Amino acid sequence: MFSISPLRTRQVIGGIIGLVVGALVFVLLSLESNEEYVSVGPMNTGHEELSCFACHADAKGNLIQQVQSNTSHAFGFREEGVDFGTQDVTANNCLECHDRPNDRHPIYRFSEPRFSDAIKNIDATTCVTCHSEHHGERVTLGKIDYCMNCHQDLSVESDPLDISHKDLIAQEKWETCIQCHDFHGNHRYEVPTQMKDTFSLKLISNYLKGGKDPYGMDKKYTALSQEEWLNKK
Amino acid sequence: MKTFYKLKFIYPLLASFIIVSCGGVPEEKAELQGEENVFSVEEVLEMVAKENDVTRTLYTKAIVGKGKLQGMKFDEDWRKDKVEAGPLPALFLRGVATSIKRGPVPLGLYLGSDHPVNAANKFEGKQAELFEEIKQNQEPQFFYDDSQQLHTAMFADLASAGACVSCHNDHPQTTKSDWKLGDVMGATTWQYPKDSLTYKETIAVLNSYAKGTVDIYMEYLDEIEHFKESEKPEIGNKWPQDGKYLPTAEVFLDSVKKLSSYETMKHLVSLNKK
Repeated sequence: MFSISPLRTRQVIGGIIGLVVGALVFVLLSLESNEEYVSVGPMNTGHEELSCFACHADAKGNLIQQVQSNTSHAFGFREEGVDFGTQDVTANNCLECHDRPNDRHPIYRFSEPRFSDAIKNIDATTCVTCHSEHHGERVTLGKIDYCMNCHQDLSVESDPLDISHKDLIAQEKWETCIQCHDFHGNHRYEVPTQMKDTFSLKLISNYLKGGKDPYGMDKKYTALSQEEWLNKK
Repeated sequence: MKTFYKLKFIYPLLASFIIVSCGGVPEEKAELQGEENVFSVEEVLEMVAKENDVTRTLYTKAIVGKGKLQGMKFDEDWRKDKVEAGPLPALFLRGVATSIKRGPVPLGLYLGSDHPVNAANKFEGKQAELFEEIKQNQEPQFFYDDSQQLHTAMFADLASAGACVSCHNDHPQTTKSDWKLGDVMGATTWQYPKDSLTYKETIAVLNSYAKGTVDIYMEYLDEIEHFKESEKPEIGNKWPQDGKYLPTAEVFLDSVKKLSSYETMKHLVSLNKK
């Protein structure tokens, strides 16, 4: 049944070598110690110690079941397809470690209809809009003028700042917002009351790229480590 | 080799057989098959909004209103370490909403107004338009939010206690200082993805709201635990009307249930009449 024609010997040997090398590569790349070679880019700041499985959980069912379900779905025999290989990563994965009751901009708030125009400019309903993973940074959003999408009408009574918030907004100095305020509000620090005391744009830019935290290291809540996350599950 | 060619059509068939006989990944919806959708989303949101009314009124009157008379403090910055206070009613609702979002029930809850203390909570667009109608007739408004693909309902949020009126009128950031009891101060907005719900889903929505209430109240009690300078109220079965006391989360929730259960039960048992 499997007798080989002498004319095809080289093809068969080549095929076997291909299979062995393929299997070897598959096994080696599946090892946890080699995850960095599979990753599409360096992990973002604070995520360096995470394993792939922390976000990329196995999809439901085995590969054959997933093939069958998606084939059935393609031919209309099943209402919904299924994840293939690993589950899609969503904001819920982020929140399992980063959910904080004191978050002043929790993503769920932006699902409210009154933010529908704002989220056309910046989709604040999901974390990855600002924190796209595998870039080796902290914030991957290009510009830091995002406050303009919701706070155009802000006015602060008895404004403590030497240059009023109203004036800063009128001058469209949106980059000054995060020179005083951390977006998620988790840092414990004294907010400056004079523009000269605010964090420089260079410091802020460096922080967003993954550098030193200008707001300080004193935080009310800390994100879960992988070990803490595993223990919580 | 000839045998191989004779059998070559067998292999794809065999592979297909193996794949098909393995069975697919079970469909999640299969779990709900056989369960009839018995409530419209409007009915369910009205039920949970009613529970919210009762809870918020109880918290505002019996905890914030009476608590202030006992010297307890409530502040918009209550989560800050240096502030030793409890959540104001609007922030109590925000806490409930946050807790709901942490759970598996896809229910959204928001509070807004045309004269909010915090400008970020001002209604815009469709919500601002419908809020004008709510102010006229205090009737709930329903619409489908196309952008999020969510069924949405808005319910009047009334000035039900003296504490609502005095705090908002006296707040340094207020844009309106002539609120009076009974005014429509704002509206709650609720969202849910399905147009009708099974009995189980309905109960899950009501439970997620109740759990949210307990969660935020527990957070308040936890903050009290960490008070350094302020006198801590005694936590037990008594309420602030009796002195410097606060009820436990269980006692608080029991009172909410006593006040709201009749209305909710009326809806739930109305199934038999359908």
